[in-house]
Amino acid sequence: MMTAMVIAMLTAITVWWLLIQRLREKPWTHQGVATGSQENRTASAPHVGLWVFLAVVTSLFGLFASAYVMRMHAHSGVVHWHPLTEPRVLWVNTAVLVLASAALQRARNAAVRTDLDTLRTFFPLGGALTVLFLLGQVWAWRELAVTGLYDRTDPAYAFFILLTAVHGVHLLGGLVVLGRASARIWRGLSRDNVVAVAKARQSVELCTVYWHCLLLIWLGLFALLLST
Amino acid sequence: MAYVAIADRDTHLHDPQSWVTKYVWSQDHKVIAIQYGSVAILVGLLALVLSLFMRLQIGFPDTFSFITPYRYYQFVTMHGMIMVIYLLTALFLGGFGNYLIPLMCGARDMVFPYMNMLSFWVYLLSVIILVASFFAPDGPTGAGWTLYPPQAVLEGTPGANWGIVLMLVSLAVFIVAFTMGGLNYVTTVLQARCRGMTLMRMPLSVWGIFVATILGLLAFPALLVSAIMLLLDHTLGTSFFMPALMSMGEQSDHEGGSPILFQHLFWFFGHPEVYIVALPAFGIVSDLLATHARKNIFGYRMMVWAIVAIGALSFVVWAHHMYVSGMNPYFGFFFATTTLIIAIPTAIKVYNWILTLWRGDIHLTLPNLFAIGFIFTFVHGGLTGLFLGNVTVDLPLSDTYFVIGHFHMVMGVSPVMVLFGAIYHWFPKITGKMPNMTLGKIHFWMTFLGTYAIYLPMHYLGILGMPRRYYAYGQSDFLPDSAHTVNEAITIAAIVVATAQVIFIINVILSLWKGEKAPENPWRATTLEWQTPTTPPPHGNWGPKLPVVYRWAYDYSVPGADKDYIPQNEPPKGQPAAA
Repeated sequence: MMTAMVIAMLTAITVWWLLIQRLREKPWTHQGVATGSQENRTASAPHVGLWVFLAVVTSLFGLFASAYVMRMHAHSGVVHWHPLTEPRVLWVNTAVLVLASAALQRARNAAVRTDLDTLRTFFPLGGALTVLFLLGQVWAWRELAVTGLYDRTDPAYAFFILLTAVHGVHLLGGLVVLGRASARIWRGLSRDNVVAVAKARQSVELCTVYWHCLLLIWLGLFALLLST
Repeated sequence: MAYVAIADRDTHLHDPQSWVTKYVWSQDHKVIAIQYGSVAILVGLLALVLSLFMRLQIGFPDTFSFITPYRYYQFVTMHGMIMVIYLLTALFLGGFGNYLIPLMCGARDMVFPYMNMLSFWVYLLSVIILVASFFAPDGPTGAGWTLYPPQAVLEGTPGANWGIVLMLVSLAVFIVAFTMGGLNYVTTVLQARCRGMTLMRMPLSVWGIFVATILGLLAFPALLVSAIMLLLDHTLGTSFFMPALMSMGEQSDHEGGSPILFQHLFWFFGHPEVYIVALPAFGIVSDLLATHARKNIFGYRMMVWAIVAIGALSFVVWAHHMYVSGMNPYFGFFFATTTLIIAIPTAIKVYNWILTLWRGDIHLTLPNLFAIGFIFTFVHGGLTGLFLGNVTVDLPLSDTYFVIGHFHMVMGVSPVMVLFGAIYHWFPKITGKMPNMTLGKIHFWMTFLGTYAIYLPMHYLGILGMPRRYYAYGQSDFLPDSAHTVNEAITIAAIVVATAQVIFIINVILSLWKGEKAPENPWRATTLEWQTPTTPPPHGNWGPKLPVVYRWAYDYSVPGADKDYIPQNEPPKGQPAAA
């Protein structure tokens, strides 16, 4: 069901996009340099590339979530699905990830204003909070493990580890990019170097979009885990 | 930042480079395309040999001692997986996608050249992992290309220890490679088209590759999810897919897993995969037919819409592969209906290809022979798909040779016909040499007639009830002696078709070595890749200035025009070229 929703959403976006691209055009009727091609295109390639990638990531997590729900109902009445008692630390983790996203948004706003001091503070702060989030997730794994209540064949437990791990891997990938961009920003980025500032701004914007998306995905996963 | 600056940026990428960066660690989309294509064809030849082993066993059982039941299932599995994923997907998207998108869109390169390079090397890694399974202690997996649990990971199935692990890891690595490439193809089409190249002026080849890539980007995650979860079931003992069962007299550690869940995930990828392969073929064949029939493509707009519609519909038909797995009858009805609906845009395309040929100035050139051959094989395979899409007809035919005949015609032979047509068509641009036409025509007729000799009788065998995936059939009431004779004939035809592919390889080598020098635009085509300043195009494609597009890609035989084609970058009469 969730997969169908995700696909429906993506299809709707695609159709909308195609419509606005004037798919009704009759290209054989006129010659000459067409208007509405590249000249008024404003999004940069990395931005578009990131959005396409985020569609892939959303599809991946949507399918994991679908598998979760289908597995839960696969043998209802025959084999019990043992609901998980989610560790309370997950609430703290969620708050930390929200703060990380907020810090990156602040850094992004600072980058747009070319406020380098704020950028230098909040961009790495977002990364540090994300590291904290990941440590918190490991802590949650440990909490579940020490209870001794859950077995690897227990699907709710296995799914919990799997979903949090895959989400964490995506954040780790983001941290590599964020770390490299932070190093560039700290290593003598000056307001006068317009090209370097524009490059840093783009990196910060891309990281922020990525983090917001992974926050939304985590909120969806957390809601799914809590509701089952 | 507006796009033009990205496409036309003057970076070090387009400077002369060392031999290593030019031919090995290359970021040039054309070199990467050739790298992708070469590896895909090589690994495809391996899969071809495996299919011959299978056919030798079916046609002449108990003759070849090295084809044991254990190995037979390994050959079946590896043949299927290699052909579908590592050959067809890689060659259409990694090969032709890489070569054609920037050239046909008028770009200098892909928008992320470094990632494009990584995509190839990660793909190569996935192929190496896959081939490594032949050297694993228990050999490659023999689970069948669908890798269904529980049997895929149970003792008794060939390669149940190492083979299946290597297969799943290889698939995961392949998906990473595909994603890197796919991001490039989609973003390049959206962002790097040259001035004047609106979406509706793009050649249908680019449309097919573009929509197929979107399908791949959304569908391959389903395969990744199923591969990861099956890997965990196998290595860590989780129970996502594995139910409680007795295996080799022992109770397994698993409990409660759902094998049907795997099937849903697999086919949620598996069916779009058919169109990941078919849509680029649809696009390319449209361009081949228009060029070689010297006529504009019939119903261009409808062709674009049909590609988009087929792509969208391909996500809601997956369970027609699972009619015999057991499902709510209403689901069966739903999936049968969507499956039949998809026939409508597909049929529109077939009509449009035929109407493109209608009263055209048809040149029976080598690429056109393959393109016309494709129409035959595709219509044939598509019609048998209508049988299998219906639940009541599918049930008795399921897992018989009718299915084998159907899908080999529709997604084996048909895309391969287009691939050969495309290779012969763009060979002069890629290499600067003309292919040998005589050898090419021998290759065509042997392949076209040979594949019919292989797959047409399979439908008959399927209707008789001959099941697929059996190592040996022995004596049975429902299979007459004539079925065994037919099997022998099919095997001989398979050997003939395989020989034809050797002729193809010889042709490629001979043409590269001693081929006639190709003119700049030997087919008098309109699309941009034929308008490059030099052939083969250099790194950066266009010299100092990007092309400007003034018209669509199908201005053939325009009344009143000086010649029977007008390139896309030729300004309208009386208008100066744009600055």
